[in-house]
Amino acid sequence: MSRLKYILAIALPLLAGSVLSAQVTSGERDKYTLLTMPFNMRQLTLYKGQLAVNAGYKFAVRSQQFDSNGDKQILTNSGTGSVYHYYFADIRYGITDFLEIGAETNFIRHGMRDQTTTYVSATATGTQSVTVNKLSEVKGLGDILLLFTIRPPMQYKWFDLSATGGMFLPSSNYQPAKPQDNITNIAAANSYLINSYNKYTNGYGVPVYMISGSAKAVINKITFAADFTYKTPMHEGKNIRWIGTMTDKQFSYYDKTYQYLLSDEYSVNGAIHYQLTGWFDFYVNGFWQMTKGGWTEYYGNKYSNTRTSLLTLEPGFELQISPSLTIYQVAGFPLSGKSSDAPFYLFTTIRFSNFLFSK
Amino acid sequence: MRDPEKIRNYLLASMALILGMPLYSQTEKQLVPSDLRQQTIVTEPVTLRKGFFRIGTIANYRVADRYFDSNRTREYYLASVWSTKSVYNLALQYGITDRLEAEIVTEYMYNRTKSQSVEITPGTNASTTVTNKQVGFGIGDTRINMKYQFFPETKYKISLTGILNATFPTGKKNPSNVKSATQYDLPVGDGAYAMSGEIYARTILYPYSFTAYLTYSYNFEGSKKIEATDPKESNFRLGNRIQTGASANVHLNEWIVLANEISFYHDGEGWIRKGSTVTIPQSWAAVYVPNLVFQVKRFRLGESVSIPLLGKNVPADPLFIMTVQYVF
Repeated sequence: MSRLKYILAIALPLLAGSVLSAQVTSGERDKYTLLTMPFNMRQLTLYKGQLAVNAGYKFAVRSQQFDSNGDKQILTNSGTGSVYHYYFADIRYGITDFLEIGAETNFIRHGMRDQTTTYVSATATGTQSVTVNKLSEVKGLGDILLLFTIRPPMQYKWFDLSATGGMFLPSSNYQPAKPQDNITNIAAANSYLINSYNKYTNGYGVPVYMISGSAKAVINKITFAADFTYKTPMHEGKNIRWIGTMTDKQFSYYDKTYQYLLSDEYSVNGAIHYQLTGWFDFYVNGFWQMTKGGWTEYYGNKYSNTRTSLLTLEPGFELQISPSLTIYQVAGFPLSGKSSDAPFYLFTTIRFSNFLFSK
Repeated sequence: MRDPEKIRNYLLASMALILGMPLYSQTEKQLVPSDLRQQTIVTEPVTLRKGFFRIGTIANYRVADRYFDSNRTREYYLASVWSTKSVYNLALQYGITDRLEAEIVTEYMYNRTKSQSVEITPGTNASTTVTNKQVGFGIGDTRINMKYQFFPETKYKISLTGILNATFPTGKKNPSNVKSATQYDLPVGDGAYAMSGEIYARTILYPYSFTAYLTYSYNFEGSKKIEATDPKESNFRLGNRIQTGASANVHLNEWIVLANEISFYHDGEGWIRKGSTVTIPQSWAAVYVPNLVFQVKRFRLGESVSIPLLGKNVPADPLFIMTVQYVF
């Protein structure tokens, strides 16, 4: 009799707990359950039949950079700070629970100012001074990345792995446009201002391979996530460089072809997430990227591209607004690096997601 | 002496209850619409209810990177100059009646401009670097607003509210700590009084609301030092502003609102009397402002970006705005 009571004493709470638990979770894989799946309960790829469209905007302030020794240089002190406007869009579709395909592209606008420089020289008629303002703008659509992602064909519980492969198609313009230089006070004999405006594009100019691996492990509401990405060009490319000369305050230009090999690019993300509620996930990510290898031709000689690296701390969140809409926001704080710009940024993305063929 | 068997039974029964409780406490409380009766920017009255206060701060940040020139073309600032402007304003609103609201707004400004240029003399291989730094911070101008609902929402499908605004030049209007023409502390105030009147209309078709407004601002004549090295103040008058806008707001769920506003403003010609009279040219801009507002009970957090779409003689950079408000 006494033993029965002990058994009941243990069994009853468990039973009570299981009933309560059954009231708050559903094992059914209906459309809304999948669309509102919290980050810590979600697999690395989309579910079968799920479509996701992301659109994002990154505003970055390039107020500092790291030099080749890793020392921070404050660009705003020299008046050469600048801002990036980076727009991003992608579309992804889950063919099965284990295979996802997608495409993505971006658009960038970034104008970088050089330090204003005045050249003073003595002439027979007096002193001549020429002031030069130089702006280099990078603007345009990026190449289209086609990609697919696979994960092991088993139900996600607390650990997941995925592998991604893809290629950037050289779909966007990569040749720089002819510079727009002008003289503002052209009538002045001995003192004038040249505004130099160089226009660069955003395309690689050659196909670029991309492979990536991701992993995710969950302990209750805490998720550890990491990924590694490697990009490498398929082959060497050719581009043009504009050479300009000024004679009698008139500019003339000609283009010169040069060869180049893009640097390989490596990046690693390591994040810890906390699922505060079902609709809010907060995380802190460490983002490290490095470029190395590659070369650029100058007047017949090949010069190695500068090796760059940057480590950025990224606190961010994922906020589910409705079953179909989710907002992501992340801020980037550069910590260390070499030969690299170190912008602070705020990146906001909105995701629309739904199942095309499910009610 | 009590029966030990009975005591054990009580203990076992209590254990069952106690063990069940942690399991229950681990279940997540899902917020449902009926839990959230707070009023958002869509559903709240145009003016605060009688006896209620709302305190809030709006912080905004802008970098000077591009501008619309006199030909309405978006251009970069080409010289090596870096300017940022941050404004942190503090607003206190009070509902005097259910239809009349008073508001006082003051602001703390932080403006910064840095530039550096190099002068090179190739003949002697000498170079000189010229660095300029101007910083301005402190309490800016103060505004007082009075809002009155002529056609309250409780009676009319479309409410109509009148807003009167007075601006007081409480901010420092002259450059200070002047070391040279390029080394000084920037002013943080306009240096002139201003008055404005606004008509504001709104209708609610839950989960949507639509608003439209028309504002006219009159700037009075003032005086200040236009250049840092000016020996005395010069009279000036900023052009009057006419501004209009409309917004469509939608509840994405019970506690998040997405607002979209399109506005247009035109600043008339102003003048500066410094020896001769110099004209301050007209300017205008068309602006799009997406705004995401989170409402949790009486606490509100908003995030928006003011994006200039078209313009003339105005900055062309986005203005980032964060809003925090609390009603009590």
